[in-house]
Amino acid sequence: MERDTELALVERLRLGDPDAFDVVYSTFHTHLLTFLVRLSRRRDVAEDLLEETWLRLVKHADRLRPDTRLGAWLFTVARNLHVSYRRSRMLEDSAATSLIALWPFSSARVSPFEAAAASELQRRIERALAAMPDASREVLLLVGVAGLDISDAADVCGITPEALRQRLHRARETLSKALERDAAAQVPLGRMTSCPNR
Amino acid sequence: MSEPLMRVLAELPPAEPDAVSAEGIRLRCRAELVQRASRAAAAPTPGMHDRINVWQPVIAVLGIAYLAEAVIQALRAALMQ
Repeated sequence: MERDTELALVERLRLGDPDAFDVVYSTFHTHLLTFLVRLSRRRDVAEDLLEETWLRLVKHADRLRPDTRLGAWLFTVARNLHVSYRRSRMLEDSAATSLIALWPFSSARVSPFEAAAASELQRRIERALAAMPDASREVLLLVGVAGLDISDAADVCGITPEALRQRLHRARETLSKALERDAAAQVPLGRMTSCPNR
Repeated sequence: MSEPLMRVLAELPPAEPDAVSAEGIRLRCRAELVQRASRAAAAPTPGMHDRINVWQPVIAVLGIAYLAEAVIQALRAALMQ
């Protein structure tokens, strides 16, 4: 989105123009949903957080600064809502851990993205992303997937651009290593189907 | 740094929003935005509010001065008698 267009939209939002909201909504809705689904790894949670993100925009529309960067603002709200959600779930998770250990096995949840990935490489990336710590995953999602620039992504995460660069560098390395490990662990299909009856 | 990795990340498929749910959120937010804007328009303008705020202390000071003068006059009249 051009900066002039964005500034004009911010001004119209401040005045309560619903058509301006529609433009912002159609521009960012899918990006935010994609970000939240990969961050939370749960579609239902992502949809709840997404709705709350939009409601926050509406509630704060008249108090937006005229120079607001809408993408950074929306991703910041979405990310903060996810952080709050994670905090609220931590107590429940820690309480449930002892109960889960009593089950004979626990299967890792397959993300909707992993199930729908078009290629084996995408499936492996989805698996690796899902297994990464939140802080690493969110920078890869913001910069790599959502396409935010370093400055906006740093604002979203509440850190300096230099700190974000370092975090991004480490996250890329972690992802690369995870992919290498995953590739090494893959059993070639040809070996599995070779006939043992000889 | 592996740029191919970032390229693959950028090409990952987006989440498909549920059309019904997305439309519901959009309509709810639109309605909320319009409602808030009309409430803001109906509220007293900041200029009027400021004028009320300026006049209240002025009236209070004048009232106190009037009362003080009345008390002084009454005391003076009492002392003169």
